[in-house]
Amino acid sequence: MTHCSTIRLDNLAVNFDDRFQLTDINWQIEPQQHWVITGTNGAGKSALAAILAGVINNGAECLSGTVEGLPARVGLVSFEAQAALIDAELKKDDADIMDVISEGTPVREILYEDCQDTELAEQLIEKFGLELLLDRSFRKLSTGESRKVMLIRALASKPDLLVLDEPFDGLDTKTLGMLQQHLATLIDTVPMVMVLNRFDEFPDFITDIAYVEKGTLQHQVRRDDARAYAELYQLLHLKTTDLTIPTADSENAIPSLDPEQPLVRLNNITIKYDEKKVISDLNWTINPNQHWQLSGPNGSGKTGLLSLITGDHPQCYVNDIFVFGFKRGSGESIWQIKQFIGYVSTALQWEYRVGTSIRNVIISGFYDSIGLYSKSTDAQKGIADQWLALLGMANRADQPFNKLSYGDQRLLLIARAMVKHPPLLILDEPCLGLDGMNRQLVLALIEKICAGSETSVIYVNHHPEDQIKGIDNYLAL
Amino acid sequence: MPNNYFNTLPLREQLEQLAKCRFMDISEFPEGVEALKGKKMVVIGCGAQGLAQGMNLRDSGCDVSYTLRQAAIDEKRQSWKNATENGFTVGTYEELIPTADVVLNLTPDKQHTAVVKAIMPLMKQDACLSYSHGFNIVEEGMKIREDLTVIMVAPKCPGSEVRNEYVRGFGVPTLIAVHEDNDPKGEGLALAKAYAVGTGGHKAGVLMSSFIAEVKSDLMGEQTILCGMLQTGSLLCFDKMVEEGVDAGYASKLVQFGWETVTEALKYGGVTNMLDRLSNPAKIKCFDLSEELKQIMRPLYNKHQDDIINGTFSRTMMEDWANDDVNLLGWRAETAETAFEKTPAGDVEISEQEFFDNGILMVAMVKAGVELAFETMTAAGIIADSAYYESLHETPLIANTIARKKLYEMNATISDTAEYGCYLYNHACLPLLADFMKDIKTDVIGRGLNVEDNGVDNGRLIEVNEALRSHPVEAIGSVLRGHMADMKKIV
Repeated sequence: MTHCSTIRLDNLAVNFDDRFQLTDINWQIEPQQHWVITGTNGAGKSALAAILAGVINNGAECLSGTVEGLPARVGLVSFEAQAALIDAELKKDDADIMDVISEGTPVREILYEDCQDTELAEQLIEKFGLELLLDRSFRKLSTGESRKVMLIRALASKPDLLVLDEPFDGLDTKTLGMLQQHLATLIDTVPMVMVLNRFDEFPDFITDIAYVEKGTLQHQVRRDDARAYAELYQLLHLKTTDLTIPTADSENAIPSLDPEQPLVRLNNITIKYDEKKVISDLNWTINPNQHWQLSGPNGSGKTGLLSLITGDHPQCYVNDIFVFGFKRGSGESIWQIKQFIGYVSTALQWEYRVGTSIRNVIISGFYDSIGLYSKSTDAQKGIADQWLALLGMANRADQPFNKLSYGDQRLLLIARAMVKHPPLLILDEPCLGLDGMNRQLVLALIEKICAGSETSVIYVNHHPEDQIKGIDNYLAL
Repeated sequence: MPNNYFNTLPLREQLEQLAKCRFMDISEFPEGVEALKGKKMVVIGCGAQGLAQGMNLRDSGCDVSYTLRQAAIDEKRQSWKNATENGFTVGTYEELIPTADVVLNLTPDKQHTAVVKAIMPLMKQDACLSYSHGFNIVEEGMKIREDLTVIMVAPKCPGSEVRNEYVRGFGVPTLIAVHEDNDPKGEGLALAKAYAVGTGGHKAGVLMSSFIAEVKSDLMGEQTILCGMLQTGSLLCFDKMVEEGVDAGYASKLVQFGWETVTEALKYGGVTNMLDRLSNPAKIKCFDLSEELKQIMRPLYNKHQDDIINGTFSRTMMEDWANDDVNLLGWRAETAETAFEKTPAGDVEISEQEFFDNGILMVAMVKAGVELAFETMTAAGIIADSAYYESLHETPLIANTIARKKLYEMNATISDTAEYGCYLYNHACLPLLADFMKDIKTDVIGRGLNVEDNGVDNGRLIEVNEALRSHPVEAIGSVLRGHMADMKKIV
């Protein structure tokens, strides 16, 4: 029987020592639920867990909103709590002004300080192999050993709620297995909230996942919602893995460009339909290593302007356009132009209706084709597989592209655009039509691209919240 | 009346020209568009095909402009808009033809004589004149100035697909030919190949053929299996179902989308695969029906082929052209008034398999038409490769047009010659099949076989399968589909 009632956090904003704030937290934990809080480093996972452990008015200040239904007895295991204990122990040592060696508090004392179930405590001490350490000073334990002490302390305190912040970190495999087994026996008695970073560590009994980003609770996903769960997995994967963009295809390198020349120079550009001018007398020069944001209301000609650059707009032949060393209309082919460009847009996704495998979709980026019509090389396949691994889709390489979710398709098309490391990457509203989670996935990928490569980015968007770091040139139509 | 060029040739040469057709490997195009570099290409006509080819060529680095008749420019007709809005230079014949190194005649067949007569005196010495259909040369016997090179480049798809496939980085299968009487400098093949590359055709497969083989096989295919059989079959199957009490909306849908569905199976694995989609009892039934159909229709296919070979077909059609298209327009109006055309497809769900199960007769008609057209063409000396492309290969393309908007769309999309031939076939074939249709019931069209179980006689099934698989159209089909699969989309 659980003694926990529903816990409600409404519009909560909490200040942690002016160093960190949680804002806009709306969260409800039902007695039968077991949650994982996940997110990137520094996102606020531990802060959120700490609220459940009663940190408000005890180190943190509530700025607004309410917390209801927090149980009296919360078992907490966290690095912060562990550090606090050790800190306290060290202070005791410092306080000792006499010239005697302080042994500090023995483990036994720490363990039984708050114990409500001696029998259980003894069982766990035996299971975790702590018998021989009971008389040692707590602060002399290794990280793993002190972590075990914290766990036993929390479990034996008969809590109404267990808050376990990275409980598996630092445990050896045997102990990890034991702990997980033990937790599984508690699922009908006590609701649990765990902070975990790795999906493969999520215990089977977890029912819900909370995703924290930038101090807010951004997504709440039910474990049994397979699609949302898979998306969350990808997002976390992209956010937390140390991403390195796969290399370009060295066997089929893009010809090198003159670094002194602009990538693109548009001179007094006009686009007109039926005598109606959509764009007139526009000049735009894009130099190597510049990132641009292009904005403008609907119908202002953003896409038209970009397709003058890509060569998809027939009026590129009646304008003064210089791209990648070619004056347009001087005998060059569009494939000579497209080899320097990676391009993503909603329109491209609409056109990309082919039943080919997702690996082939990525490889098609080497050929600038929709669908794959050339025999690809082993090197290209290898690079495509690295991209799939990066996107968290390694096990789906042979699935047909047209059966994927919209968001997955968009991610793949971005990878397709990037695969050859183009000098110019054009992202025409890459987040359009995507839900919050996929939007973050896309932005995470683009930020990685902007951060560390030789690619110049043109980014078109409407949403101020979809800013990308590193873009510092703006063109508004 | 003009002289039929084919009929002026000795038999030996007629046969040699008819038998020309070779699938070219992509490795035969290493020069790309080099032969056209620095040359000025002027397109006559800016309809769907003209615009698509011009845009592809320009995107491949060629110098392309359009020439239209003065009236089309003055009145700012659609062709003028198509060209100018896409950023092309447009000018009159007098302005542009004298500057052209290559003139692309992409007007409808019917206008060729007038157009070619108008431009020939304006063309530069030693320039090149390109067609995408050989009717004018072969059937009308147009004589082209001796210094001019005459080639043909014919993408085997509608203009919209020619453009879309290019944009995707691919192309459509394309037929090229050189008119040997007009190849004074021996550069015809190099120009035709470069042109095919410029439209993206080399990626999807190029067939090197002759003007004669192209015309004689194209005419035969389009008027018999491709358009004629589908039109006649549509009318007969729909009327029979309604007569037998099948819901008219269902019948309309089964026919309109049935051709597309069953010929999709044809596209992937030939006649064999199309019939393999049926249950064993249905397959045997379908085979028997098609054998009967072939026996009844063979004289008709022979007649069409004979009239095409000896020039009777083109002569009668040109007479109709000269008579303000009275026949064509009358037949077109008649088609619009048929019950099938006027009954909209019902709002009923028909699964992909159901189109086969309830459309056994339609499958039998496709099989009979494809095999007869192929057999008749090859018997007339056309090489199997050409015969395959002009029968089996193109059937799904035409079936798609019926799925879009029934017979009206089909007849609007195909060329005037195809439409004329289609009506000829239809008028002869409807009465020919009248007796056959009397014995047809809904088990083979509309409701499917009513059998207790799917049991069949082993011996009979083996016979049927053997007959299906050993037909010569299957042999060449598997070879050519193999070529195509190598080059085609890896899907």
